[in-house]
Amino acid sequence: MPYRAVVIACLWLVSACGSGGGGNEGAGSHSPNVLTVTGGASGVCANVNQLCTQVTICQPGTSACQTISDILVDTGSIGVRIFGSVLSIPLQQEVESPGQIIGECVSFADGSALWGAVQLADVVLAGEPAVTVPIHVIAPTFAGQSISHNPCNSVVDSDPRKAGFNGILGIGLFTHDCGITCELNDNNTFYFSCAASTCGSIAAPLSTQVQNPVWLLPSDKNGVILTLPNVPATGAPVLSGSVTLGIGTAPNNSPPPGISTFTTDPSGSLTTVYKGTTAQSVIDTGSNGYFFPDSTLPLCPMPDQDFYCPLATANLSATLFGVNARQATVPFQVANAANLLTGNAVFNNLGGPSPFLSSSPTFDWGLPFFLGRVVFVGIEGQPSTLGTGPFYAF
Amino acid sequence: MGPWAQIMLVIILIYLTAGTPVWAALGQAKASVEKDRAAMGGQVQSKLAPGYSVETITVAGMSIKEYVSSDGTIFAVAWRGTGAPNLRLLLGAYFDEYLDALTELQNKKPRIRRPLMLKTENLVVERSGHARNMWGRAFIPSHLPAMVSPKDIQ
Repeated sequence: MPYRAVVIACLWLVSACGSGGGGNEGAGSHSPNVLTVTGGASGVCANVNQLCTQVTICQPGTSACQTISDILVDTGSIGVRIFGSVLSIPLQQEVESPGQIIGECVSFADGSALWGAVQLADVVLAGEPAVTVPIHVIAPTFAGQSISHNPCNSVVDSDPRKAGFNGILGIGLFTHDCGITCELNDNNTFYFSCAASTCGSIAAPLSTQVQNPVWLLPSDKNGVILTLPNVPATGAPVLSGSVTLGIGTAPNNSPPPGISTFTTDPSGSLTTVYKGTTAQSVIDTGSNGYFFPDSTLPLCPMPDQDFYCPLATANLSATLFGVNARQATVPFQVANAANLLTGNAVFNNLGGPSPFLSSSPTFDWGLPFFLGRVVFVGIEGQPSTLGTGPFYAF
Repeated sequence: MGPWAQIMLVIILIYLTAGTPVWAALGQAKASVEKDRAAMGGQVQSKLAPGYSVETITVAGMSIKEYVSSDGTIFAVAWRGTGAPNLRLLLGAYFDEYLDALTELQNKKPRIRRPLMLKTENLVVERSGHARNMWGRAFIPSHLPAMVSPKDIQ
Protein backbone atom coordinates (compact mmCIF):
# COMPACT_ATOMS: atom_id res chain seq x y z
CA MET A 1 0.00 0.00 0.00
CA PRO A 2 1.55 3.33 -0.95
CA TYR A 3 1.70 5.53 2.11
CA ARG A 4 0.30 9.00 1.85
CA ALA A 5 3.17 11.39 2.19
CA VAL A 6 2.55 14.22 4.59
CA VAL A 7 4.91 17.15 4.79
CA ILE A 8 5.29 18.76 8.16
CA ALA A 9 4.48 22.43 7.91
CA CYS A 10 4.77 23.34 11.53
CA LEU A 11 7.49 23.22 14.09
CA TRP A 12 6.98 21.36 17.33
CA LEU A 13 8.58 22.88 20.33
CA VAL A 14 9.36 20.30 22.95
CA SER A 15 11.01 21.53 26.09
CA ALA A 16 14.42 19.95 25.93
CA CYS A 17 15.17 19.08 29.49
CA GLY A 18 15.14 19.98 33.13
CA SER A 19 11.44 20.56 33.60
CA GLY A 20 10.31 19.43 37.00
CA GLY A 21 8.47 16.35 38.05
CA GLY A 22 9.76 13.18 39.55
CA GLY A 23 12.61 13.74 41.91
CA ASN A 24 12.79 10.00 42.34
CA GLU A 25 15.82 8.73 44.22
CA GLY A 26 16.42 5.82 41.87
CA ALA A 27 15.69 2.48 43.45
CA GLY A 28 18.64 0.73 44.96
CA SER A 29 21.36 3.20 44.00
CA HIS A 30 23.07 5.66 46.29
CA SER A 31 24.69 7.94 43.72
CA PRO A 32 22.26 10.04 41.71
CA ASN A 33 23.91 9.01 38.44
CA VAL A 34 24.04 5.23 38.98
CA LEU A 35 21.39 2.80 37.76
CA THR A 36 21.41 -0.68 39.25
CA VAL A 37 21.18 -3.35 36.55
CA THR A 38 20.55 -7.05 36.98
CA GLY A 39 20.64 -10.23 34.95
CA GLY A 40 18.97 -13.53 35.57
CA ALA A 41 16.29 -11.98 37.73
CA SER A 42 13.01 -13.79 37.67
CA GLY A 43 9.85 -12.16 36.38
CA VAL A 44 9.34 -10.67 32.98
CA CYS A 45 13.04 -10.12 32.27
CA ALA A 46 13.95 -13.80 32.45
CA ASN A 47 15.93 -14.69 29.34
CA VAL A 48 19.55 -15.80 29.39
CA ASN A 49 22.19 -13.04 29.25
CA GLN A 50 19.59 -10.33 29.50
CA LEU A 51 20.31 -7.12 31.42
CA CYS A 52 17.45 -5.16 32.96
CA THR A 53 16.83 -2.13 35.16
CA GLN A 54 13.98 0.12 36.21
CA VAL A 55 13.01 3.61 35.12
CA THR A 56 10.49 6.10 36.42
CA ILE A 57 8.01 7.61 33.96
CA CYS A 58 6.00 10.70 34.88
CA GLN A 59 3.23 12.68 33.30
CA PRO A 60 5.17 15.70 31.96
CA GLY A 61 5.56 18.48 34.48
CA THR A 62 3.66 16.68 37.23
CA SER A 63 4.45 14.40 40.13
CA ALA A 64 2.21 11.66 38.70
CA CYS A 65 4.91 9.03 38.32
CA GLN A 66 5.28 5.31 37.92
CA THR A 67 8.41 3.22 38.42
CA ILE A 68 8.57 0.36 35.94
CA SER A 69 10.85 -2.64 36.38
CA ASP A 70 12.06 -5.25 33.87
CA ILE A 71 13.34 -2.65 31.43
CA LEU A 72 15.88 -4.12 28.98
CA VAL A 73 19.19 -2.21 29.02
CA ASP A 74 20.16 -1.96 25.37
CA THR A 75 23.31 -0.33 24.00
CA GLY A 76 22.23 -1.43 20.49
CA SER A 77 19.16 0.82 20.29
CA ILE A 78 18.12 4.36 21.13
CA GLY A 79 15.29 5.63 23.30
CA VAL A 80 12.79 4.65 25.97
CA ARG A 81 10.05 2.21 24.90
CA ILE A 82 7.39 1.01 27.35
CA PHE A 83 4.51 -1.39 26.77
CA GLY A 84 1.32 0.66 27.06
CA SER A 85 -0.23 -2.29 28.92
CA VAL A 86 2.06 -1.68 31.93
CA LEU A 87 1.66 2.12 31.97
CA SER A 88 -0.92 3.43 34.40
CA ILE A 89 -0.35 7.17 33.98
CA PRO A 90 -1.53 9.18 31.01
CA LEU A 91 1.17 10.75 28.84
CA GLN A 92 0.95 13.45 26.21
CA GLN A 93 0.33 12.13 22.67
CA GLU A 94 2.52 13.73 19.98
CA VAL A 95 0.47 14.99 17.04
CA GLU A 96 1.38 16.12 13.56
CA SER A 97 -1.66 18.37 13.44
CA PRO A 98 -4.97 18.26 15.32
CA GLY A 99 -6.40 14.75 14.96
CA GLN A 100 -3.26 13.40 13.30
CA ILE A 101 -1.56 11.31 15.98
CA ILE A 102 2.05 10.17 15.61
CA GLY A 103 3.03 6.51 15.84
CA GLU A 104 6.32 4.74 15.39
CA CYS A 105 7.57 1.43 14.13
CA VAL A 106 10.99 0.22 15.19
CA SER A 107 12.66 -2.94 13.89
CA PHE A 108 15.46 -4.97 15.43
CA ALA A 109 18.16 -7.26 14.05
CA ASP A 110 16.32 -10.35 15.30
CA GLY A 111 13.43 -9.54 12.96
CA SER A 112 11.15 -8.35 15.76
CA ALA A 113 9.33 -5.04 15.55
CA LEU A 114 7.45 -2.72 17.91
CA TRP A 115 4.51 -0.50 16.98
CA GLY A 116 2.94 2.16 19.16
CA ALA A 117 2.38 5.79 20.01
CA VAL A 118 4.98 8.52 20.34
CA GLN A 119 4.18 10.31 23.59
CA LEU A 120 5.89 12.96 25.66
CA ALA A 121 6.97 11.84 29.14
CA ASP A 122 9.22 12.90 31.97
CA VAL A 123 11.81 10.16 32.37
CA VAL A 124 13.76 9.76 35.60
CA LEU A 125 17.00 7.78 35.47
CA ALA A 126 18.41 6.87 38.92
CA GLY A 127 18.45 10.08 40.99
CA GLU A 128 18.95 12.44 38.05
CA PRO A 129 16.54 15.31 37.37
CA ALA A 130 13.63 14.29 35.14
CA VAL A 131 14.07 14.85 31.40
CA THR A 132 11.10 15.58 29.17
CA VAL A 133 11.40 13.40 26.08
CA PRO A 134 9.26 11.64 23.46
CA ILE A 135 9.04 7.93 24.27
CA HIS A 136 7.57 4.96 22.40
CA VAL A 137 4.44 3.59 24.06
CA ILE A 138 4.26 0.08 22.60
CA ALA A 139 0.72 -0.95 21.62
CA PRO A 140 -0.13 -3.17 18.63
CA THR A 141 -3.64 -1.74 18.49
CA PHE A 142 -2.55 1.91 18.54
CA ALA A 143 -4.39 3.91 15.86
CA GLY A 144 -6.60 1.00 14.86
CA GLN A 145 -3.72 -1.30 13.86
CA SER A 146 -3.15 -4.95 14.83
CA ILE A 147 -0.42 -7.49 15.59
CA SER A 148 -0.13 -8.64 11.98
CA HIS A 149 -1.44 -5.59 10.11
CA ASN A 150 0.43 -2.42 10.96
CA PRO A 151 2.91 0.01 9.41
CA CYS A 152 5.83 -2.24 10.49
CA ASN A 153 4.73 -4.77 7.88
CA SER A 154 5.70 -7.49 10.33
CA VAL A 155 4.35 -9.23 13.40
CA VAL A 156 4.79 -6.87 16.34
CA ASP A 157 5.23 -7.72 19.99
CA SER A 158 2.13 -7.40 22.14
CA ASP A 159 2.96 -9.17 25.38
CA PRO A 160 5.72 -8.12 27.82
CA ARG A 161 6.13 -11.73 29.03
CA LYS A 162 6.60 -13.00 25.51
CA ALA A 163 8.93 -10.14 24.61
CA GLY A 164 10.86 -10.64 27.84
CA PHE A 165 10.66 -7.01 28.96
CA ASN A 166 8.23 -4.32 30.10
CA GLY A 167 10.19 -1.85 28.05
CA ILE A 168 13.59 -0.94 26.61
CA LEU A 169 16.10 1.65 27.79
CA GLY A 170 18.05 2.28 24.58
CA ILE A 171 21.27 4.00 25.64
CA GLY A 172 23.43 3.46 22.56
CA LEU A 173 25.65 5.77 20.57
CA PHE A 174 23.08 8.26 19.26
CA THR A 175 20.85 11.07 20.52
CA HIS A 176 17.80 10.25 18.34
CA ASP A 177 16.55 6.83 17.25
CA CYS A 178 16.37 7.67 13.56
CA GLY A 179 17.94 11.10 13.23
CA ILE A 180 18.27 13.24 10.14
CA THR A 181 17.02 10.47 7.79
CA CYS A 182 13.56 10.70 9.34
CA GLU A 183 13.69 14.48 9.56
CA LEU A 184 14.36 14.83 5.83
CA ASN A 185 12.39 11.93 4.31
CA ASP A 186 8.62 11.59 4.51
CA ASN A 187 8.91 8.04 3.15
CA ASN A 188 10.99 6.68 6.05
CA THR A 189 9.83 3.45 7.71
CA PHE A 190 9.88 4.77 11.32
CA TYR A 191 7.37 7.59 11.80
CA PHE A 192 3.69 7.67 10.85
CA SER A 193 0.79 10.03 11.20
CA CYS A 194 -2.53 8.32 11.83
CA ALA A 195 -6.19 9.27 11.70
CA ALA A 196 -9.15 6.90 11.76
CA SER A 197 -7.07 3.71 11.42
CA THR A 198 -5.15 5.06 8.42
CA CYS A 199 -1.46 5.67 8.92
CA GLY A 200 0.93 7.33 6.47
CA SER A 201 4.68 7.80 6.82
CA ILE A 202 5.83 11.31 7.72
CA ALA A 203 9.02 13.25 8.11
CA ALA A 204 9.53 13.66 11.86
CA PRO A 205 11.47 16.64 13.21
CA LEU A 206 14.25 15.68 15.61
CA SER A 207 12.29 17.18 18.52
CA THR A 208 9.44 14.69 17.92
CA GLN A 209 11.68 11.65 17.59
CA VAL A 210 12.20 9.06 20.32
CA GLN A 211 15.47 9.95 22.02
CA ASN A 212 18.21 8.65 24.24
CA PRO A 213 17.25 10.20 27.60
CA VAL A 214 20.89 10.37 28.67
CA TRP A 215 21.80 13.14 26.23
CA LEU A 216 19.07 15.36 27.74
CA LEU A 217 20.49 15.15 31.28
CA PRO A 218 21.76 18.49 32.61
CA SER A 219 25.37 17.39 33.18
CA ASP A 220 25.86 13.60 32.87
CA LYS A 221 24.84 13.71 29.22
CA ASN A 222 27.83 12.57 27.19
CA GLY A 223 27.50 8.80 27.61
CA VAL A 224 27.23 5.86 29.96
CA ILE A 225 29.52 3.39 31.67
CA LEU A 226 28.54 -0.27 32.03
CA THR A 227 30.24 -2.07 34.91
CA LEU A 228 29.45 -5.75 35.23
CA PRO A 229 31.26 -8.46 37.21
CA ASN A 230 32.51 -11.63 35.58
CA VAL A 231 30.89 -15.03 36.13
CA PRO A 232 32.35 -18.57 36.41
CA ALA A 233 32.83 -20.67 33.27
CA THR A 234 29.69 -22.62 34.14
CA GLY A 235 27.68 -19.41 34.44
CA ALA A 236 25.83 -17.76 37.28
CA PRO A 237 22.16 -17.68 38.27
CA VAL A 238 22.09 -13.89 38.67
CA LEU A 239 24.16 -10.81 37.92
CA SER A 240 24.23 -7.39 39.51
CA GLY A 241 26.06 -4.38 38.12
CA SER A 242 25.63 -0.75 37.23
CA VAL A 243 25.12 1.78 34.49
CA THR A 244 26.78 5.05 35.46
CA LEU A 245 25.52 8.14 33.65
CA GLY A 246 28.11 10.56 32.27
CA ILE A 247 31.77 10.12 31.39
CA GLY A 248 34.18 12.30 33.38
CA THR A 249 31.37 14.57 34.55
CA ALA A 250 31.35 13.57 38.24
CA PRO A 251 33.79 12.12 40.78
CA ASN A 252 32.39 8.61 40.24
CA ASN A 253 32.62 8.48 36.46
CA SER A 254 36.18 9.52 35.62
CA PRO A 255 37.81 6.96 33.30
CA PRO A 256 40.89 5.35 34.84
CA PRO A 257 44.17 5.42 32.90
CA GLY A 258 44.58 2.80 30.17
CA ILE A 259 41.12 3.01 28.64
CA SER A 260 41.18 2.88 24.82
CA THR A 261 38.58 4.70 22.71
CA PHE A 262 37.19 3.02 19.58
CA THR A 263 35.35 5.57 17.48
CA THR A 264 32.60 4.05 15.32
CA ASP A 265 31.65 5.01 11.78
CA PRO A 266 28.77 7.52 11.45
CA SER A 267 26.25 4.65 11.52
CA GLY A 268 27.61 3.21 14.77
CA SER A 269 29.55 0.25 13.42
CA LEU A 270 33.03 -0.95 14.33
CA THR A 271 35.13 -3.43 12.40
CA THR A 272 36.13 -6.83 13.77
CA VAL A 273 38.66 -9.10 12.10
CA TYR A 274 38.08 -12.74 13.01
CA LYS A 275 40.15 -15.57 11.50
CA GLY A 276 41.14 -13.27 8.63
CA THR A 277 37.59 -12.17 7.79
CA THR A 278 36.55 -8.55 8.27
CA ALA A 279 33.11 -8.10 9.80
CA GLN A 280 30.89 -5.19 10.75
CA SER A 281 30.46 -5.05 14.48
CA VAL A 282 28.35 -3.78 17.30
CA ILE A 283 28.93 -3.98 21.06
CA ASP A 284 25.42 -4.65 22.27
CA THR A 285 24.06 -5.50 25.72
CA GLY A 286 20.77 -6.40 23.99
CA SER A 287 22.28 -9.43 22.19
CA ASN A 288 22.31 -12.55 24.33
CA GLY A 289 25.68 -13.92 23.17
CA TYR A 290 28.65 -13.53 20.88
CA PHE A 291 27.26 -13.98 17.38
CA PHE A 292 29.75 -14.47 14.56
CA PRO A 293 30.24 -16.75 11.58
CA ASP A 294 32.57 -19.73 12.02
CA SER A 295 31.88 -22.86 9.99
CA THR A 296 34.35 -24.88 12.12
CA LEU A 297 32.18 -24.57 15.24
CA PRO A 298 29.32 -27.10 15.34
CA LEU A 299 25.81 -25.78 15.90
CA CYS A 300 23.79 -27.18 18.76
CA PRO A 301 21.43 -30.04 17.86
CA MET A 302 18.11 -29.09 16.26
CA PRO A 303 15.97 -27.22 17.07
CA ASP A 304 18.29 -25.03 19.19
CA GLN A 305 20.60 -23.79 16.48
CA ASP A 306 20.85 -20.30 17.96
CA PHE A 307 24.13 -21.34 19.58
CA TYR A 308 27.37 -23.21 19.01
CA CYS A 309 27.96 -26.51 20.75
CA PRO A 310 31.69 -27.32 20.43
CA LEU A 311 32.76 -30.58 22.12
CA ALA A 312 35.40 -28.71 24.10
CA THR A 313 35.36 -25.02 24.99
CA ALA A 314 36.89 -23.06 22.12
CA ASN A 315 39.55 -20.46 22.99
CA LEU A 316 39.19 -17.75 20.36
CA SER A 317 40.20 -14.17 19.71
CA ALA A 318 39.22 -11.36 17.39
CA THR A 319 40.59 -7.88 16.75
CA LEU A 320 38.37 -4.83 17.10
CA PHE A 321 39.13 -1.70 15.07
CA GLY A 322 37.76 1.80 15.51
CA VAL A 323 37.67 4.26 12.62
CA ASN A 324 40.29 6.17 14.65
CA ALA A 325 42.68 3.30 13.80
CA ARG A 326 42.70 2.12 17.42
CA GLN A 327 42.73 -1.66 17.66
CA ALA A 328 42.54 -4.31 20.37
CA THR A 329 42.75 -8.06 20.27
CA VAL A 330 40.00 -9.50 22.44
CA PRO A 331 40.26 -13.11 23.64
CA PHE A 332 36.98 -14.90 24.28
CA GLN A 333 35.63 -18.38 24.82
CA VAL A 334 32.72 -20.30 23.39
CA ALA A 335 31.54 -23.28 25.43
CA ASN A 336 28.99 -25.95 24.58
CA ALA A 337 25.67 -24.11 24.91
CA ALA A 338 23.68 -27.29 25.48
CA ASN A 339 25.84 -28.00 28.55
CA LEU A 340 25.59 -24.38 29.75
CA LEU A 341 21.85 -23.87 29.45
CA THR A 342 20.82 -26.20 32.24
CA GLY A 343 19.77 -23.77 34.98
CA ASN A 344 22.09 -20.77 35.13
CA ALA A 345 21.14 -17.54 33.36
CA VAL A 346 24.34 -15.51 32.86
CA PHE A 347 27.28 -16.77 30.81
CA ASN A 348 30.52 -15.26 29.52
CA ASN A 349 31.04 -18.00 26.94
CA LEU A 350 27.75 -18.29 25.06
CA GLY A 351 28.21 -17.94 21.31
CA GLY A 352 26.29 -18.60 18.13
CA PRO A 353 26.33 -18.11 14.37
CA SER A 354 25.48 -14.94 12.49
CA PRO A 355 24.61 -14.35 8.85
CA PHE A 356 27.62 -14.46 6.56
CA LEU A 357 27.18 -11.97 3.77
CA SER A 358 30.45 -11.67 1.95
CA SER A 359 30.43 -7.88 1.94
CA SER A 360 29.09 -7.56 5.44
CA PRO A 361 29.42 -10.50 7.81
CA THR A 362 28.35 -9.59 11.33
CA PHE A 363 30.38 -9.88 14.51
CA ASP A 364 27.97 -9.10 17.33
CA TRP A 365 29.72 -8.59 20.67
CA GLY A 366 26.75 -9.25 22.93
CA LEU A 367 26.36 -9.27 26.70
CA PRO A 368 29.24 -11.74 27.38
CA PHE A 369 31.65 -9.02 26.20
CA PHE A 370 30.57 -6.77 29.09
CA LEU A 371 31.13 -9.35 31.85
CA GLY A 372 34.25 -8.53 33.85
CA ARG A 373 34.74 -5.27 31.95
CA VAL A 374 34.05 -1.59 32.31
CA VAL A 375 32.68 -0.39 28.95
CA PHE A 376 32.13 3.27 28.04
CA VAL A 377 29.54 4.28 25.43
CA GLY A 378 30.09 7.83 24.12
CA ILE A 379 27.10 9.59 22.53
CA GLU A 380 27.43 11.21 19.10
CA GLY A 381 28.64 14.80 19.13
CA GLN A 382 29.18 14.84 22.89
CA PRO A 383 32.72 15.63 24.07
CA SER A 384 34.21 13.70 26.98
CA THR A 385 37.60 12.98 28.49
CA LEU A 386 37.68 9.88 26.23
CA GLY A 387 36.93 11.82 23.04
CA THR A 388 33.79 12.84 21.15
CA GLY A 389 31.11 10.21 20.40
CA PRO A 390 30.06 8.01 18.79
CA PHE A 391 32.53 5.66 20.45
CA TYR A 392 32.93 2.61 22.63
CA ALA A 393 35.85 2.54 25.06
CA PHE A 394 37.20 -0.16 27.34
CA MET B 1 -12.89 -11.06 -30.27
CA GLY B 2 -13.20 -7.80 -32.20
CA PRO B 3 -10.90 -4.83 -31.67
CA TRP B 4 -13.58 -2.98 -29.72
CA ALA B 5 -13.93 -5.88 -27.27
CA GLN B 6 -10.13 -6.07 -26.93
CA ILE B 7 -9.96 -2.37 -26.05
CA MET B 8 -12.75 -2.83 -23.50
CA LEU B 9 -10.89 -5.80 -21.98
CA VAL B 10 -7.67 -3.75 -21.68
CA ILE B 11 -9.57 -0.91 -20.02
CA ILE B 12 -11.16 -3.33 -17.55
CA LEU B 13 -7.76 -4.90 -16.80
CA ILE B 14 -6.14 -1.50 -16.20
CA TYR B 15 -9.03 -0.58 -13.93
CA LEU B 16 -8.73 -3.78 -11.93
CA THR B 17 -4.93 -3.60 -11.63
CA ALA B 18 -4.92 0.03 -10.53
CA GLY B 19 -7.11 -0.76 -7.55
CA THR B 20 -5.12 -3.73 -6.23
CA PRO B 21 -2.20 -3.46 -3.79
CA VAL B 22 1.29 -3.27 -5.26
CA TRP B 23 2.34 -6.79 -6.20
CA ALA B 24 5.82 -7.20 -4.87
CA ALA B 25 9.16 -8.47 -5.86
CA LEU B 26 10.58 -11.80 -4.74
CA GLY B 27 9.67 -14.55 -7.21
CA GLN B 28 7.95 -12.04 -9.48
CA ALA B 29 8.91 -10.47 -12.78
CA LYS B 30 11.41 -7.65 -13.10
CA ALA B 31 8.59 -5.20 -13.75
CA SER B 32 7.71 -5.32 -10.05
CA VAL B 33 10.98 -3.51 -9.24
CA GLU B 34 9.43 -0.39 -10.74
CA LYS B 35 6.31 -0.89 -8.64
CA ASP B 36 8.45 -1.19 -5.49
CA ARG B 37 10.39 1.90 -6.45
CA ALA B 38 7.22 3.89 -7.04
CA ALA B 39 5.61 2.64 -3.81
CA MET B 40 8.69 3.59 -1.79
CA GLY B 41 9.29 6.85 -3.68
CA GLY B 42 12.90 5.99 -4.52
CA GLN B 43 15.32 5.96 -7.44
CA VAL B 44 16.52 2.88 -9.28
CA GLN B 45 19.85 1.97 -10.89
CA SER B 46 20.60 -1.14 -12.91
CA LYS B 47 23.85 -3.12 -12.97
CA LEU B 48 24.67 -6.22 -15.01
CA ALA B 49 26.49 -9.27 -13.60
CA PRO B 50 27.18 -12.64 -15.31
CA GLY B 51 23.82 -14.42 -15.53
CA TYR B 52 21.79 -11.79 -13.68
CA SER B 53 21.27 -8.10 -13.08
CA VAL B 54 20.98 -6.05 -9.89
CA GLU B 55 18.38 -3.29 -9.63
CA THR B 56 19.26 -0.93 -6.78
CA ILE B 57 16.51 1.22 -5.29
CA THR B 58 17.75 4.14 -3.19
CA VAL B 59 15.20 5.56 -0.80
CA ALA B 60 15.12 7.45 2.53
CA GLY B 61 18.48 6.41 3.96
CA MET B 62 18.18 2.90 2.56
CA SER B 63 19.60 0.94 -0.36
CA ILE B 64 17.58 -2.03 -1.62
CA LYS B 65 18.96 -4.43 -4.22
CA GLU B 66 16.73 -6.73 -6.24
CA TYR B 67 18.50 -9.57 -8.07
CA VAL B 68 16.98 -10.49 -11.43
CA SER B 69 17.87 -13.71 -13.30
CA SER B 70 18.28 -13.73 -17.09
CA ASP B 71 14.71 -15.10 -17.43
CA GLY B 72 13.46 -11.94 -15.71
CA THR B 73 12.57 -13.39 -12.30
CA ILE B 74 13.60 -11.73 -9.04
CA PHE B 75 15.40 -14.40 -7.02
CA ALA B 76 16.85 -12.33 -4.18
CA VAL B 77 16.62 -9.00 -2.39
CA ALA B 78 19.20 -7.37 -0.11
CA TRP B 79 18.99 -4.17 1.88
CA ARG B 80 21.00 -1.83 4.10
CA GLY B 81 20.04 1.40 5.79
CA THR B 82 18.92 3.36 8.81
CA GLY B 83 15.92 1.11 9.41
CA ALA B 84 14.15 -1.89 7.94
CA PRO B 85 12.48 -1.93 4.51
CA ASN B 86 8.87 -2.88 3.82
CA LEU B 87 9.29 -6.65 3.64
CA ARG B 88 5.63 -7.20 2.76
CA LEU B 89 6.46 -5.38 -0.45
CA LEU B 90 9.84 -7.02 -1.10
CA LEU B 91 8.92 -10.62 -0.23
CA GLY B 92 5.59 -10.57 -2.03
CA ALA B 93 4.03 -14.01 -2.21
CA TYR B 94 6.68 -15.32 0.20
CA PHE B 95 5.86 -12.77 2.92
CA ASP B 96 3.34 -14.96 4.76
CA GLU B 97 5.80 -17.87 4.80
CA TYR B 98 8.38 -15.50 6.35
CA LEU B 99 5.90 -14.18 8.91
CA ASP B 100 4.83 -17.68 9.97
CA ALA B 101 8.44 -18.74 10.52
CA LEU B 102 9.24 -15.51 12.37
CA THR B 103 6.22 -15.96 14.64
CA GLU B 104 7.26 -19.54 15.42
CA LEU B 105 10.79 -18.34 16.24
CA GLN B 106 9.48 -15.62 18.55
CA ASN B 107 7.37 -18.17 20.43
CA LYS B 108 10.45 -20.19 21.36
CA LYS B 109 11.64 -20.18 24.99
CA PRO B 110 14.08 -18.76 25.82
CA ARG B 111 13.60 -16.09 23.19
CA ILE B 112 17.11 -15.32 22.00
CA ARG B 113 17.92 -11.85 20.69
CA ARG B 114 20.48 -12.22 17.97
CA PRO B 115 20.95 -11.61 14.25
CA LEU B 116 18.17 -13.41 12.37
CA MET B 117 18.89 -16.55 10.36
CA LEU B 118 15.65 -18.00 9.07
CA LYS B 119 15.25 -20.92 6.67
CA THR B 120 11.81 -21.98 5.55
CA GLU B 121 10.67 -24.49 2.95
CA ASN B 122 11.21 -22.03 0.08
CA LEU B 123 13.03 -19.08 1.53
CA VAL B 124 16.15 -17.87 3.37
CA VAL B 125 15.94 -14.59 5.31
CA GLU B 126 18.90 -13.12 7.21
CA ARG B 127 18.96 -9.85 9.13
CA SER B 128 21.50 -8.06 11.27
CA GLY B 129 22.57 -4.66 12.55
CA HIS B 130 21.83 -2.12 15.23
CA ALA B 131 20.36 1.38 15.60
CA ARG B 132 21.17 3.43 12.45
CA ASN B 133 22.61 0.50 10.50
CA MET B 134 20.38 -2.46 9.64
CA TRP B 135 21.03 -4.89 6.86
CA GLY B 136 19.70 -8.15 5.53
CA ARG B 137 18.77 -10.29 2.58
CA ALA B 138 16.17 -12.77 1.42
CA PHE B 139 16.43 -15.28 -1.40
CA ILE B 140 14.73 -18.30 -2.91
CA PRO B 141 17.43 -21.03 -3.01
CA SER B 142 15.62 -22.99 -5.73
CA HIS B 143 15.52 -19.90 -7.98
CA LEU B 144 19.24 -19.05 -7.82
CA PRO B 145 20.71 -19.02 -11.36
CA ALA B 146 23.32 -21.73 -11.98
CA MET B 147 26.29 -19.37 -11.74
CA VAL B 148 25.09 -17.57 -8.59
CA SER B 149 25.92 -18.56 -5.03
CA PRO B 150 24.38 -17.11 -1.88
CA LYS B 151 27.56 -15.13 -1.21
CA ASP B 152 26.86 -13.07 -4.35
CA ILE B 153 23.77 -11.66 -2.64
CA GLN B 154 25.06 -8.92 -0.39
